[in-house]
Amino acid sequence: MTTTNDNAGTDRKIVTFSLAQQTFGIDMRALIEIREWDEPTPLPNVPGFIKGVTNLRGNVVPVVGLAERLGWEPSAIHARSCILVVHIAGKQAGFLVDEVNDIVAIGETEIQPAPEVETIEPSVIAGLVRIATRQKDGTRDEKGTMVLLLDLDALSLTKHLDIAA
Amino acid sequence: MSDEFDDIQAIFFEECAEGLTTAEQGLSAMQAGDVSAEVIAGVFRAVHSIKGGAGAFGHADLTAFAHKFENVLDEVRGGKIPPSPGVVKVMLSAFDILTDHVESAKGLAPRPADQAALATLEQVLANKGADDGGPVAAPAAAAEVPAGEADAFGFVPMAVSLDDFDAPAELPAADAAWIVTFKPSRAALANAGEPLLIIRELESLGGEVVAVDTSTVPPLRDLDPEDAYLTWTLRVPGEVAEGDINDCFDFVAPDSIVEVRRDEAAAAPLAEAAPAADEFGFVPVSAGIEDFAAEMQRVVETIAAASPAIGSVETPAIAPKAGSEAQQTIRVDLGKLDLLLNLVGELVIRNSILADRLSPADRQRVELPELARLTRQIQDNVMSLRAQPIKQAFSRVPRMLRDLSVETGKQILLETVGETTEVDKGVIEKIGDPLTHMIRNAADHGLESAEERIAAGKNPAGTIKLSAEQRGARIFVRVQDDGRGINREKVRAKAVERGIISGDAQLSNEEIDQLICAPGFSTADTISNISGRGVGMDVVRSNVEALGGRVEIHSVPGEGTTFTMILPLTLAILDGMIVRLAGQRFVLPLAHVLETVQPEPGQVKRTSPDSEVIDMRGEYVPVKRATEIFGLNDDRAIEDSLVVIVENEGSGKVGLVVDTIDDRREVVIKSLDQNLHPIRGLGGATILGDGSIALILDIEALVASTNRFTPKGLAA
Repeated sequence: MTTTNDNAGTDRKIVTFSLAQQTFGIDMRALIEIREWDEPTPLPNVPGFIKGVTNLRGNVVPVVGLAERLGWEPSAIHARSCILVVHIAGKQAGFLVDEVNDIVAIGETEIQPAPEVETIEPSVIAGLVRIATRQKDGTRDEKGTMVLLLDLDALSLTKHLDIAA
Repeated sequence: MSDEFDDIQAIFFEECAEGLTTAEQGLSAMQAGDVSAEVIAGVFRAVHSIKGGAGAFGHADLTAFAHKFENVLDEVRGGKIPPSPGVVKVMLSAFDILTDHVESAKGLAPRPADQAALATLEQVLANKGADDGGPVAAPAAAAEVPAGEADAFGFVPMAVSLDDFDAPAELPAADAAWIVTFKPSRAALANAGEPLLIIRELESLGGEVVAVDTSTVPPLRDLDPEDAYLTWTLRVPGEVAEGDINDCFDFVAPDSIVEVRRDEAAAAPLAEAAPAADEFGFVPVSAGIEDFAAEMQRVVETIAAASPAIGSVETPAIAPKAGSEAQQTIRVDLGKLDLLLNLVGELVIRNSILADRLSPADRQRVELPELARLTRQIQDNVMSLRAQPIKQAFSRVPRMLRDLSVETGKQILLETVGETTEVDKGVIEKIGDPLTHMIRNAADHGLESAEERIAAGKNPAGTIKLSAEQRGARIFVRVQDDGRGINREKVRAKAVERGIISGDAQLSNEEIDQLICAPGFSTADTISNISGRGVGMDVVRSNVEALGGRVEIHSVPGEGTTFTMILPLTLAILDGMIVRLAGQRFVLPLAHVLETVQPEPGQVKRTSPDSEVIDMRGEYVPVKRATEIFGLNDDRAIEDSLVVIVENEGSGKVGLVVDTIDDRREVVIKSLDQNLHPIRGLGGATILGDGSIALILDIEALVASTNRFTPKGLAA
């Protein structure tokens, strides 16, 4: 299941997913589970990127439209839409993403700092990394794909809400 | 190892807290005039246990202070020092310092300045309490019958006995050295009964180890380093009181062997002071043992007859064995209780999911109602596990009032009512701060100075009455003072001055009173240490509202002010009505609901383009549409909707427009801020039978502040 890069230490695993035609990655350790999209219960008086709350094994967990949160066009819901449930700053949150791609191991040294113009809030991108993508036929595309690594702590929802409110 | 030590130490601190509570109750009773022997003995035991534990854990400052305090208590217990109001006052302030010492030992506070208190205690000891205006021990000559003031129960004889038993140094042959034999139980180390600490303590009394019996040490291959094998024999100078020696063994494991005897064969055969007994000072005496037994029997009977209300806390003093059987309690980590409560919440939810999934015919079968009943019983029991007497929250008040009394120079009497009212632990934890502010406010602003009170023809000492009562699913906590009442002119003027209201605002008396709770409001002309910074009552209101409660203020000029906190009994479960707003399910707390009406055509009328009223049998009640407040789309005609009349303190009755009412049920409250943040207008969320989430409406916020938070909601 796991693909590896050959050229550096394999220090951490990331989960890659598509969002607004980009490939993003988050640290595997933050991931709690991946679930199918299920319409959450909408909340009043919250920023638009908070889609609502859902029941995750008895916990009330907010569902965040990650695309809107990062300043992209909102994701359209389709069959492969799913929710990445993650630990974020001591809380749990679900991120709506377009498609989950893969789990890859990357070396710490492969990560390049993000240029400052990538998103509305540069700090939420912890770095850029190139990974070899797996083709349908199982061969590798050596050119690879650029993955935007998200800094989950910088995404802290409550912090953002304070500004919004 | 150090974790275990911390655990044991944590238990010690819990016991300290209990001991302090007992001591304070006893001292308060003494202050109120109940100086009976068992009250005094209760205080003594509490302080004594704290001292013993503190010694075992090496809290030297705490031990030293508790020791001095204990000395005074011992003299009072023995009737050497009369428990006059002056002495009780000294002891109360010593108690406060002792509390500070315990906090300091926990590492939560710096070491308190106790020199003054120590000096006062020393003075009381030296003067035998005679210089404080209290009743001088009149029959002091009769050493055998000390001058305890005879109380209603006639407990004087008990004081004699205990004194005699705790001061065996007065017995003949007092000078012969003590021979102490100590064989700790095998399991002593596992029970944290480190023998070295005890030997050190004996050495600090001047004792020295004269022999160590190693005969029971097994061959090395059988030796378990966790077990204790040695028997020590120590020689302790004869002038040391036997009670002090026995004190050293207060915390040894129960099956240890301890023998304390005089070195002379002719001396009183004081042997085998059983550790379980000596904790209470019951050491057999050489002479008159039958007399004593008879007397004890009589005392026990007197107590049993005269005060059936004595709680289990006092009982062990008289009948330790019976007491230990009656008090079958265990300590449980609160986290485990919280987990249990959450699991029970899950169980309740699963139960209703199951019921929803079953066909109506299956639902009627006996198994399901039975399961529902059992679930309900488990839930009630778990809730009761978390229920604690509100006394825990009240316990800090007497101390606070003593401090406030010193700071303000006012005489303050405290009355408490209903302190056994049981409330969820979570509520108790959260009302501490509001209660502190309310008490401070009452002492500082409510009560007048003694001169003012005399001029007004009142008792120079002001009274603050603290009461708690349960009414339905709510707890009412009141702080009532008999002070000057709210000066509405002044409050109004200040509110205008501070820009809280405009100069021409027309306000009712109640509205003016409520201004006290406005942020930034203070009527104090000078900011005192106690209050006047304009944060206090605002904090009270916001904390109480955060708990889903409210604050009521009732004031009569010249007669006093009453602040009432009305709180939910539990933070975990809510009796709710499941309603729909624009198709989405919400929970409306039933406690607020007065009635529900299906409006007739023309019953709801507009009073302005965006405000409506409903004609309720001639009374016009404002109507609010929750859908508008939440920005939900709703084009339903008012005649197709229901209007739920809810009562709200700020604005009285209000009608809330909802689509339909689905159900009425108890819901488990899940906080939104656990994973998100609190949302204005919502009190939390709950999980319904089908696993979906329904949001709980916060009526107070919804009704009271529609205008203020609609724009904010839109902006966000």
